[in-house]
Amino acid sequence: MKHLITIAAILGIMVSCAKVPASTGTVDAEPSIFPDYTDVVIPSNIAPLNFRIEEKAEKYITVFTGGSQKIIVKGDKVVIPPKKWEKLKKSGLIVIQVYAMDQSGSWRSFIPFTYSVSDEIDPYISYRIIPVAVESYQELSIRERNLTSFKEDIIFSNTMVQTNENGTCINCHYYKNYTTDNMLFHVRQYKGGTVLVLDGKLHKVNMKTDSTLSAGVYPAWHPTHDYIALSNNRTHQSVHSVSHDKLEVLDDISDLILYDIKNNAVSIIENDSCELENYPAWTPDGKKLYYVSYKYEGGYGEKRKNEMFLARKDFHFNLYSKSFDPDTRTWGPTKMEFDAAALDSSITWPRISPNGKRLLACISTHGVFPLDQIVSDFIMFNLEDGSYRHVDELNSPFAESYHCWSSNGKWVMFSTRREDGVHTRLYFSHIDGNGHFSKPFALPQRDPDYSREFLYAYNIPEFMKEPVHITPRQFASFISSSDATPSEYESKRGE
Amino acid sequence: MDYKGLTQRIFKPAPYVLAVVLWCILTLKEQFFLYKVENLSVFLFDKLFIADSLKIPGGFLGLAGSFLTQFLHLPWLGALIWVLLLLTAYQLTIRVFRIPESYHPLALIPIVLLIIGNMSLGYGVFIMREQDHFFAPLLGYMVSLLPITSTRRLNTLWSRIIFLTIWTAAGYILFGTFAFTGTLAAVLSILIQPSMKRKERPTLFSCGIVLIILVPLAIYSAYTSYRLADSWVMGLPSVSDDAWTRPMRAPFQIALLCQILFALTSRFLSEKPLEGIKSYVFRSAMYIIAIVAVWGFWFKDDNFHTELAMSEAVDRFDWDRTIEIFRQAEKSHAKSDAKAYASRSKKIESAHSIDQINEIVEHYKDRFFEPTRSMVLYRDLALLKTNRALGEAFTMKDGSRMQESRTIIPMVWQSGKQFYLQYGLVNMCYRWCLEDVIEHNWSYSTLKYMAMHSVIMQEPELADKYINKLEKTLFYRKWARQQDELKSDREKMSATEPYSSILPYMCFENQMSNDMMKTEAYLINHFLDKEPDLATPEYDRAALLFAMHIQDIPRFWERLFYYVNSNDINELPRSVQEAALLYSTLKKDGRELPLDEKVVKSYDEFNRYVQNHPIRSMKESEYPYCQKFGKTFFYFYFFMRDLKTY
Repeated sequence: MKHLITIAAILGIMVSCAKVPASTGTVDAEPSIFPDYTDVVIPSNIAPLNFRIEEKAEKYITVFTGGSQKIIVKGDKVVIPPKKWEKLKKSGLIVIQVYAMDQSGSWRSFIPFTYSVSDEIDPYISYRIIPVAVESYQELSIRERNLTSFKEDIIFSNTMVQTNENGTCINCHYYKNYTTDNMLFHVRQYKGGTVLVLDGKLHKVNMKTDSTLSAGVYPAWHPTHDYIALSNNRTHQSVHSVSHDKLEVLDDISDLILYDIKNNAVSIIENDSCELENYPAWTPDGKKLYYVSYKYEGGYGEKRKNEMFLARKDFHFNLYSKSFDPDTRTWGPTKMEFDAAALDSSITWPRISPNGKRLLACISTHGVFPLDQIVSDFIMFNLEDGSYRHVDELNSPFAESYHCWSSNGKWVMFSTRREDGVHTRLYFSHIDGNGHFSKPFALPQRDPDYSREFLYAYNIPEFMKEPVHITPRQFASFISSSDATPSEYESKRGE
Repeated sequence: MDYKGLTQRIFKPAPYVLAVVLWCILTLKEQFFLYKVENLSVFLFDKLFIADSLKIPGGFLGLAGSFLTQFLHLPWLGALIWVLLLLTAYQLTIRVFRIPESYHPLALIPIVLLIIGNMSLGYGVFIMREQDHFFAPLLGYMVSLLPITSTRRLNTLWSRIIFLTIWTAAGYILFGTFAFTGTLAAVLSILIQPSMKRKERPTLFSCGIVLIILVPLAIYSAYTSYRLADSWVMGLPSVSDDAWTRPMRAPFQIALLCQILFALTSRFLSEKPLEGIKSYVFRSAMYIIAIVAVWGFWFKDDNFHTELAMSEAVDRFDWDRTIEIFRQAEKSHAKSDAKAYASRSKKIESAHSIDQINEIVEHYKDRFFEPTRSMVLYRDLALLKTNRALGEAFTMKDGSRMQESRTIIPMVWQSGKQFYLQYGLVNMCYRWCLEDVIEHNWSYSTLKYMAMHSVIMQEPELADKYINKLEKTLFYRKWARQQDELKSDREKMSATEPYSSILPYMCFENQMSNDMMKTEAYLINHFLDKEPDLATPEYDRAALLFAMHIQDIPRFWERLFYYVNSNDINELPRSVQEAALLYSTLKKDGRELPLDEKVVKSYDEFNRYVQNHPIRSMKESEYPYCQKFGKTFFYFYFFMRDLKTY
């Protein structure tokens, strides 16, 4: 007890010593910090936005002011105490003033920057953590992160199932309407199958049938009915011999399927042999399915893949939609929504906002896999008037890729390689009523150096309203002990 | 005879003498192996690295192992630490199990096994997943001795049970499976004590077994990084290829088993010590067996050691040394080749049929020196970097001796990154670094090559990622700081090795490609595929060399044309002249070539020799022809056919 009192006294003295310099020179710029959190809009329930000051100096003092609350933090690593952070956020606007002392002992102050506190964000996100690689994988995990704190937990890791001889890949986790009692992810190879959590119960199915190309890949869970739209893909990769882009990924064949959960049955949505259909996305009412497709009329067989890599720059995916009656499971005709090819561009990953008014997608010069293209950016469509624009507020000189709308439609989370060109990181941005995005900010970390130090990549970020209730051990034991139930094939209805 | 005095004089210093001998061999003969072990491991003074290492039971042991492995960067120092630890483990074994003096050499058994575990590894070093494998099993062995004495000192059953419970749980978290051996050996060493109450024996034994079974089960829910079924092998070394894992774990497992055996037999040993000649004979025999076992299992393959030495020289961009190492390897085998030839000739003389001769030739095949493809590629790379390749490459031995290895380690895991980087295929180098990290974990080597890739591509943010990590090491800090200055200064980078000698090869246009794990084939295809618009003299020299290697006549003429156009030459290098003469003669195309008289003379001589010394089989005639024409392209063309790559 005595020791605790002594430590508390020392800490008290240290805090009281951290005073704002009395006289300072001024620098006519905001300080350089990492991550760049200057002048960002933040959710009211987000964890502290800690950062590192990247200005050369001997000493640093950072002052956070929000209403009557003030926090003073010493040092270039600015770590905000969580309790004080909560009080600060209540003011709605946090002003951050950075002071730096040079070798001569004189202080200078930078132009203050702000955190504007705005709407709440879903408290949880999940993502896959993967090593950056081409073909190999060893350790893959799907993790959940509490955005209101720094707590990160593993939902499931392939290391809990795979053996030295038999690798297990996991990918494409997805949730029905942001809740975790209905979710899925794919397990490939050893103990493979699609793991479905249906009303909290575990199932494993094999969606590959004699009449479909592959097991399900990119999923879109129907918002009102028990269906999941998925792509079927046969994917290939090739390395750029000398380029800032390292890898090219393409499918030589891809289709769309609909999985009927109740009947464990698969039916075709689109499987035109000349079309490469991909990335399904439902509208919030579940009456329309958006997807992308490219018409490729090249040869088949062994040469197809190589020919496609040579012709890759001509691959311009367009945006299409199909109407759908979920009660009768019937499809309407296909409609082209956006002719990206006419602009020598390629559109991928359409995701529709929860209010159904906007569609955010990736746009690139060519191809189907934006993550590996430096030029990949965001494009947003106003589904009410059909207009679109490049989202310059979100775009960076590096690849922008997988994105997700928060359940209230006020936030967008996206993966980007803006920090170093290779390691994908997660960024958030607020969207206002006019469809304007705020400056993106990086996923907050307890240690601001974490993102730079971490040598893995974030992948497939998804918002969740709640944590996953099934433990990693339950997933592991289920996946290890159960065989995937084969799905039935059903013929397509409608058109 | 005074056996007591004799054994005292001979056997007391014997372990120390053997330790010194071992250290000398490691330092003088295995320095490049030790350097490679270090190169393929990593220890970072970094929070994330430490946290990541601790995410499996036994992580602490691994961390300690990686920490010590870094000292192998200076092989004499790393070897010294290892030998001292071995010596300590030997002494600890004796003391913990109270082994009487006459049985002391028994304590050599686990030590010998620990030495064999490391020194028999050979090519397995390239596919190790645990970066700590050199030190961790030894540390684990020592750690597992700890609870034995402590448990013995406790008097009551319950105090022993409580201590063992704490030890097993904490020990498993820190040291993995090694903790269980300690638990079991501690239990057994108490059970055999006469002072132990009969009634308490089953309780203590059951308790030990239950702890070993239950602790991993109880602790498993706190981890998410391994399978439940692997719980009882955590902390033991493994490799990415399963064909290696089991045999390579065996020495360590048997070493641990020895502890159990010592625990069970320690009472018998202390009650019946050997005396007189028995003791002398036993101890002598044990030492001889130990030395023979270590020598027998030690991986002594010459080509492996030459590859390691060349690899180290390439990493230092010491091209002359790289060539010198190859020449020394050739030279050192001259005598043994001659001996093998003489012996083979004798046997052939007494052979009665062609089949018998072929059998003899086949039998002797491996007795002659033949380099591996990695050695040839290292040599050619060094020759190209010093602009000597077209004159000298074919004056040295060629070949494709397969690795002395349980499974063939593809070149991409062994030397591929070096070739790709040095030949300007920087993204392919980066790609295999990424794959290597996943398959075999992070290492100083991959971090360095990834940093070099990012520096040459002028991707400063990416370079920072790897440079920052290397700045947190003991021996690569300085190198990392140098790279930091180059990462966004193109001019400075272009004037600094190795970048200055790599950039001339980066004159080709970007292409989509996949090497299918065949490094040499990929390099050949890359250089011979199409002529870049901005081809440099260096590029054309390499392309011509590869064209000569594959013995493709049209490609040779095509590449010769580009070479002559881009390189400022007064006279064609001798091997090129030889190839030109040979090809124009073979194709009878009547080309007029500016050939040196000596080349024409040598070719005539070769033809005459062929007429006078008819070839029964290429393998049989290889040696005598090599003696006479081994430095010519003619020999290479006729005798170096169907070289295998991997």
